[in-house]
Amino acid sequence: MEAGGDTAAPAPEDAEDLEDTRFPSEEAGNGGGVHEDLPDPRDGGLEETGSETKDQPLGMLSPLPQSEASSYTCGLWDPAASENSPTGDSESDSGGQGGDPSDEDWRSKRKHVFVLSEAGKPIYSRYGSVEALSTTMGVMTALVSFVQSAGDAIRAIYAEDHKLVFLQQGPLLLVAVSRTPQSAAQLRRELLAVHAQIVSTLTRASVARIFARKQNYDLRRLLAGSERTLDRLLDSVEWDPGALLLGAVRCVPLARPLREALGVLLRRCTAPGLALSVLAVGGQLVTAAQERTVLAECRLDPADLQLLLNWVGAPAFAAGEAWAPVCLPRFNPDGFFYAYVARLNTMPVCLLLLSTDPEAFHDMATCRRLVEDGMHTLGAMRALGEAAGFSNVPSASAPAYSVQAVGAPGLRHFLYKPLDIPEHHRQLPQFTSPELEAPYSREEERQRLSDLYHRLHARLHSTSRPLRLIYHVAEKETLLAWVTSKFELYTCLSPLVTKAGAILVVTKLLRWVKKEEDRLFIRYPPKYSTPPAAPAASADQASHNGLFTGP
Amino acid sequence: MKKPDGKIVLLGDMNVGKTSLLQRYMERRFSDTVSTVGGAFYLKQWRSYNISIWDTAGREQFHGLGSMYCRGATAIILTYDVNHPQSLVELEDRFLSLTDTASTDCLFAIVGNKVDLRENGAAESQEKEGCSPGLAGAGCASPKVPKQVQLEDAVALYKKILKYKMLDEKDMPAAEQMCFETSAKSGHNVDLLFETLFDMVVPMILRQRAQGPPQTVDISNYKPPKRTKSGCCA
Repeated sequence: MEAGGDTAAPAPEDAEDLEDTRFPSEEAGNGGGVHEDLPDPRDGGLEETGSETKDQPLGMLSPLPQSEASSYTCGLWDPAASENSPTGDSESDSGGQGGDPSDEDWRSKRKHVFVLSEAGKPIYSRYGSVEALSTTMGVMTALVSFVQSAGDAIRAIYAEDHKLVFLQQGPLLLVAVSRTPQSAAQLRRELLAVHAQIVSTLTRASVARIFARKQNYDLRRLLAGSERTLDRLLDSVEWDPGALLLGAVRCVPLARPLREALGVLLRRCTAPGLALSVLAVGGQLVTAAQERTVLAECRLDPADLQLLLNWVGAPAFAAGEAWAPVCLPRFNPDGFFYAYVARLNTMPVCLLLLSTDPEAFHDMATCRRLVEDGMHTLGAMRALGEAAGFSNVPSASAPAYSVQAVGAPGLRHFLYKPLDIPEHHRQLPQFTSPELEAPYSREEERQRLSDLYHRLHARLHSTSRPLRLIYHVAEKETLLAWVTSKFELYTCLSPLVTKAGAILVVTKLLRWVKKEEDRLFIRYPPKYSTPPAAPAASADQASHNGLFTGP
Repeated sequence: MKKPDGKIVLLGDMNVGKTSLLQRYMERRFSDTVSTVGGAFYLKQWRSYNISIWDTAGREQFHGLGSMYCRGATAIILTYDVNHPQSLVELEDRFLSLTDTASTDCLFAIVGNKVDLRENGAAESQEKEGCSPGLAGAGCASPKVPKQVQLEDAVALYKKILKYKMLDEKDMPAAEQMCFETSAKSGHNVDLLFETLFDMVVPMILRQRAQGPPQTVDISNYKPPKRTKSGCCA
């Protein structure tokens, strides 16, 4: 069945999978005790599995029978609770409230993310103040080094309803402690995104250098102020899971001629040293243009682009024209680019210009005026303003469309990622999803939907037994997830829909996407631009700039 | 395209209120600001001149760009928090060296912000501490007797700076004229600060114009003043 095809029923090979999800109970028995190592080429690490249930059938959305789990339990912070010393309280100045591991409120959080140094020094905690957590972090360091002493690496611990995922990146240790249904792989991806965010402000080289010089350096000094960006990143997983889950960027829905005209405009407005221009609205991509000599060899990674889109969404960029160093971890984790960020015409439209030259602010400012003038000529400001103004949520300035536009009753929400992008555009994975509307307007509801999407995603992409199609009847909604060679799709439907009805809705949705794809996605992103006399500056040479050079 | 005629740079440790001061002046309001990333550029029309203002991040991670923001600056506003003596110390330790790239006749203003917290007494100043991370706990040790910075300390720093820059006190505006105590929250002295500076910057712009295009010459022939950091101010 093709993306826009007329056939309503899933292809025969999918039917098998459907069966599989319909009778989960048969497999439930062996779910509790399965003990497998995830093959990972990077570190043949050990998977500490209390009750490893990677192969968990989707139907078992209720907690598993925990046969072996109790041996591990979540005693991780129990010892810490009693001996949490009051040291450092007098200067507990960051993070604000809570953080005491015995604090019920703190413990009841669904997911904690910690970043610490190899020496066990706290660097970041999603909740609570890191000072109060020093003992807890000590336990984490102990766990890591205990396994390390055996020449192995700890990857995850499964304890009752908690998953603990460990990720070592150079001198930094990242830990997620989660009660969400996210899989270890998903949590690991989230930790990688947190690490990328840290690298983007400091560069990997400078983090390594700092800790090589002074092992117990307090990295918070350098990350101060960046915590909120990390908070926002982690929040986005709960409210709006698409980007990180699918590893794709969301595009502003825009008529193709206008988007192409804007692409041409960006390509035309160049300056020496300009490497990348991005137009975005509310964290969503309008269009981007790369400069050939700077980025030709190494195409921009979507994760880097997503990071930039998150970054320019920071409230710090709301006023004035900003000039700041930023590192693109996938492109070159050790060097800085210099970013010019400005809101155009006090609109939510944001222009980001990346330069290799730390002194190029005024060139970039000139370039911005060219873009602005060009956009006026195109009348693009109004069109983008309308796109942004559609949202029902007054606070959100992000462009959105209603699921009603699809015209498929019973469809509540969906995530759609096309996989049939023309070959030379493979580098820009994109996805689209409508605005979350009632009943997903409240926090808990959104969280529930995000959890369901994560569950389905984990099931589809399970390393041991991947599926192609899942029909899942949950308590308050019915979901259908489907991956083919052409697309990856997650739909959320009304709970009363029948299976036949669901397939009808999905068929309708696929037809709609096909019809609208020129508007929803960047089908033909602009090609390279060639700025005048670009200096041969590379990102590597810039690594000394914007850098803290020693404690 | 509007070409800026003069350049003013705000420097100082994080959380002293640089962005708030500028926001109070430009937008006539005070609100919670977020930590500045890198530097933000604003253009202010003063009489017939365009004065550019750089609001920089106080965070250490952006120090590398500090000298870029300061290049060719006509005036530099060194900001500290009157409730945190450490923030005044930081000006000398960390920020003064960034001003080496400024114009040779660059003006310096020293601004003690958050006087509203000082007037409200110790209780509130301690309360505010909770939301100002990273100030190394200065003044937190004995919140009952908050150590505060007096205007004389700023005047002393101003004189030190002139010495460091090897400028004659007689050629420069008097210390009393260049040291301010402000409150971005109440607006106290904020207009005075910026407008005094603008009025001083305008004649400098005229002088620079009379000397012809200075920038190119300035940068290539530029020699940093001798560092006399250690020893001179015992």
